[in-house]
Amino acid sequence: MSFQIPAFAPALPEIIVMTMACAILVIDLYIAEERRGLTYLLTQLTLVIAALATLGGMPVEPQVTFSGSFIRDTMGDLLKAFIYLMAAGVFLYSRDYLRARKLFTGEFHVTGLFGVLGMMVMVSAHSLLTVYLGLELLSLALYAMVAYDRDSLQATEAAMKYFVLGALASGLLLYGMSMLYGVTGTLDLALLAERLADSDRGDPVLVFGIAFIVAGLAFKLGAVPFHMYLPDVYHGAPTAVTVYIGTAPKIAAFALTMRVLAEGLAPLHADWQQMLVVLAVLSLALGNVVAIAQTNLKRMFAYSTISHVGFILLGILSGTADGYAGAMFYAITYALMALGGFGMILLLTREGFEADNLDDFRGLNERSPWFAFMMLLLIFSMAGVPPTVGFYAKLAVLQAVVQVDMVWLAIVAVLFSVVGAFYYLRIIKLMYFDEVEDRNPLTAAPDLRLALSVNGLAVLLLGLFPGGLMALCIGALT
Amino acid sequence: MLALTDYLTLGAILFSIAVVGIFLNRRNLIILLMAIELMLLAVNMNFIAFSHFHGNLDGQVFVFFILTVAAAEAAIGLAILVVLFRNRRTINVNELDLMKG
Amino acid sequence: MGFDKLVFYVFAAVLVFAALRVITCRNPVHAVFYLVLAFLNSAGLWLLLEAEFLAMTLVLVYVGAVMVLFLFVVMMLDINVAEMRAGMRRFAPVGVGIGILLVVEMALIVRSSAFSPEKFGNLVRSPADYSNTKALGSVLYTEHVYAFEIAAVILVLAIIAAIALTLRKRPKTRYQDPARQVSVRREDRVRLVDVPSEKRG
Repeated sequence: MSFQIPAFAPALPEIIVMTMACAILVIDLYIAEERRGLTYLLTQLTLVIAALATLGGMPVEPQVTFSGSFIRDTMGDLLKAFIYLMAAGVFLYSRDYLRARKLFTGEFHVTGLFGVLGMMVMVSAHSLLTVYLGLELLSLALYAMVAYDRDSLQATEAAMKYFVLGALASGLLLYGMSMLYGVTGTLDLALLAERLADSDRGDPVLVFGIAFIVAGLAFKLGAVPFHMYLPDVYHGAPTAVTVYIGTAPKIAAFALTMRVLAEGLAPLHADWQQMLVVLAVLSLALGNVVAIAQTNLKRMFAYSTISHVGFILLGILSGTADGYAGAMFYAITYALMALGGFGMILLLTREGFEADNLDDFRGLNERSPWFAFMMLLLIFSMAGVPPTVGFYAKLAVLQAVVQVDMVWLAIVAVLFSVVGAFYYLRIIKLMYFDEVEDRNPLTAAPDLRLALSVNGLAVLLLGLFPGGLMALCIGALT
Repeated sequence: MLALTDYLTLGAILFSIAVVGIFLNRRNLIILLMAIELMLLAVNMNFIAFSHFHGNLDGQVFVFFILTVAAAEAAIGLAILVVLFRNRRTINVNELDLMKG
Repeated sequence: MGFDKLVFYVFAAVLVFAALRVITCRNPVHAVFYLVLAFLNSAGLWLLLEAEFLAMTLVLVYVGAVMVLFLFVVMMLDINVAEMRAGMRRFAPVGVGIGILLVVEMALIVRSSAFSPEKFGNLVRSPADYSNTKALGSVLYTEHVYAFEIAAVILVLAIIAAIALTLRKRPKTRYQDPARQVSVRREDRVRLVDVPSEKRG
C-alpha cells in the first residue's frame, strides 16, 4: 500500500505540550520538595511556548492532516489560545492553595497539562475517533485531579460520582457514534456531513443516534437533565481543581459540540435543534432557580454554570454563523468570569480555612475595598449587568436566537436571567452591607493579587470594548 | 445467514442490560463499574458488526482504541474506588450522600 | 439454519445470560466471573465477524488483565456481602419493566430499514489468505498514528493517576534495596581490628 507521511507541523502545539508534560514528569522526580516551584514554572513555560506556537503558526486556510483526523483552523487556534490562558490562570491562582494543603505536587501539574492536551485534541478533532480520545484524555485527567486530595471524604466521593456518570456519558456518546458510523461508514467529520446530506432525512436510526450523541454531550457540558454530578463535583473537589474544571473545559466542551453537531451533523440541524432547545430551557430554569437556595459558593457557582451552559446552547442551536460566534464569545468570556469568581475564593482561603461559604464574603468591602470591587465586577458580569462583558455575551446569543424567529426562547432566557440576578445580588449585599465577621487580613501572594485584578478589570474592559473579541469570534466562524 | 441486524439487536440488548444495571444498582460500586464495561462491550459489538458489513476497517480501529481507553479508565476508576473505600469503609452507592443542596 | 447462525445464537444466548447475571449477582466475585464469561462469548462472536485480532485482544487484555484487576480489587476491599443483599428486591420489578421496554424500543429501531439485509447483504467471507491482524496493523501505524499517540498519552496518564492515588509510603515499613545489598564492599562490613597479642608468660 502507498502511504504519505502526514504533515506534522500543524500539530506542533500538541507535540510541544505532550513532550513538555513528559519531561516535567521526569524532572519533577529529581527536584527536592522545597524547590517544587520549578515544576510550576516549567508548567507555565510550557503553556507560553504552546501559545507562541499556536498563534505564530495560525493558518489562513484550514489544514487537515493525519488522514483527516486532525484539523487546524482559526476557530481552533483561538480557542486553544484561551485554553492556555485559562490554564495558566488556574495554575497561578491555585499554587498557594495547593502548597498549604500539601497537594503542590508534580503529578497535579502533569495531570493538568495532560488535561490541556486533551482539550487541544478535542478542539482540533476532525474525526469521531479523535473527538472520543480527546474527551477521554480530559475526563480521565479531571477524575484523577478531583481525587488527588485523597484523604478528603468529600473529594473522593465527588470523584467517584464524577467518574461513574462521566463513564456513562462516554458510553452514550459512543453508542450514538456507532449508529452514525453504521449509517455513513465513515468516522471523518467532513465526510460524515457529506454523506448525511445525501441520506434521507428523518431516518429513525439517525435521530436515535443523534439523541445518544446529544445526551452524551449534555452530560459533558453539564446541561439539565444530565447535570446531577456537577454540583457535587464542584463542591467536593479541592477549590484548585474546581477552578480547573469550571474554566478551560467549558471552552473545550463548546468546541466539542461545535465539531460534532455544527460540523459533522450539520445536515441534520433541524433534528438536534429540537433537543438542544429542551436542554437549554431546562438548564436555564433549573440553574437559576436552584442556585438561590445555595449557601456554599462553589455549589452556587455550579448551578450558575448550568444556567450559563443553557446560554451557550442557545447560541449553538440557532445554527447560524452569528449564533456560533455568540456562543463562542459566551464560552470564552464565561470561562474568564468563572476563573475570576473561583480566584476570589482562592484569594480568601488560607492554611486550614476554606472560604467557600457565602458568609465568608460578609463585609469584604471593609477588609479590602479593591477586591470587593473586583468581585462586584465579576458578579455583575455573571448576572449580565452592563457595562460588563457578561451583558454583551448574553446580548449576542439572544440576538442570534431572535434572528432565527425563536423569540419565545429569548424571552424565557431573559426571564430566568432576571431570577438569576437575585442570587448574584445577594453576594453583593453580603460584601457591602453586612457586618464583617472575619477580620483576618488577606494573605494572598502579590502575583495572585495582580492576576486577579487584571482578571476583574478584563471583564470590565471587554464589556466596554467588546468589538475586538467579537470580531475575532465572527472571523473564526465565517 | 447472519445479518447485520442480528448483531445490532444483541448490542441493543447488552446496552439495555448495562443501563438498567447502572440505574438500579444501589448497593455496590464495583457492579456499577462492571455495568459500564458491559456498555462498552455493546458499543464494540456494534462497531465490529458495522465494520464487517461496510467492509472498512475504521470500526475495528475504533474498537481497538475503545479497548485501550477502557483499560485506562478501569485503572483510574478502581484507584478512585480504593481511595474511597479507605476513607469511608463502604462502597455502597446509597451511602454516598455527604453533599446535599 | 446455517451453522453460522447456530453458533451465533448459542454464543449470544450465553452472552445475554452472563450479562444479566453480572448486574443481578449479589456476590461481586461471581459478577466478575460472569463478566469474564460475557467477554469470552463476545470474543467468539467477533471471530464470526472475522475480527480475529480484536477477539484475541479482548481475551488477552480484557480477561487477562482488566478483569484480573477487578478481581484483585474485589478481594482487597473485603466487602460485606450480607449487607449488600438487603434492599435489592425493591427495585427489581421496575428494572425488569424498564429493561424490556428499552430492549424492545432499541431493537425496533436498529432492525428498521436503514440496516436491513437488503441494504447490507449477508455475511461475506474473506478469502483464506486474508489476515485481519495485518490489515489492522497497516492502518494503525499509518492512517491512525495520531489516535495511536493520544492513546499512548491516555495510558501514561492512567499510570500516573493510579499510582498517585493509591501509593502510600508507610514510615514504619523497612525496605530492602537489592542494589545496595549487591554493591556492598568488604570494607563496609568487615573491620579488621588489630588486637595486640598479650605477651605470654
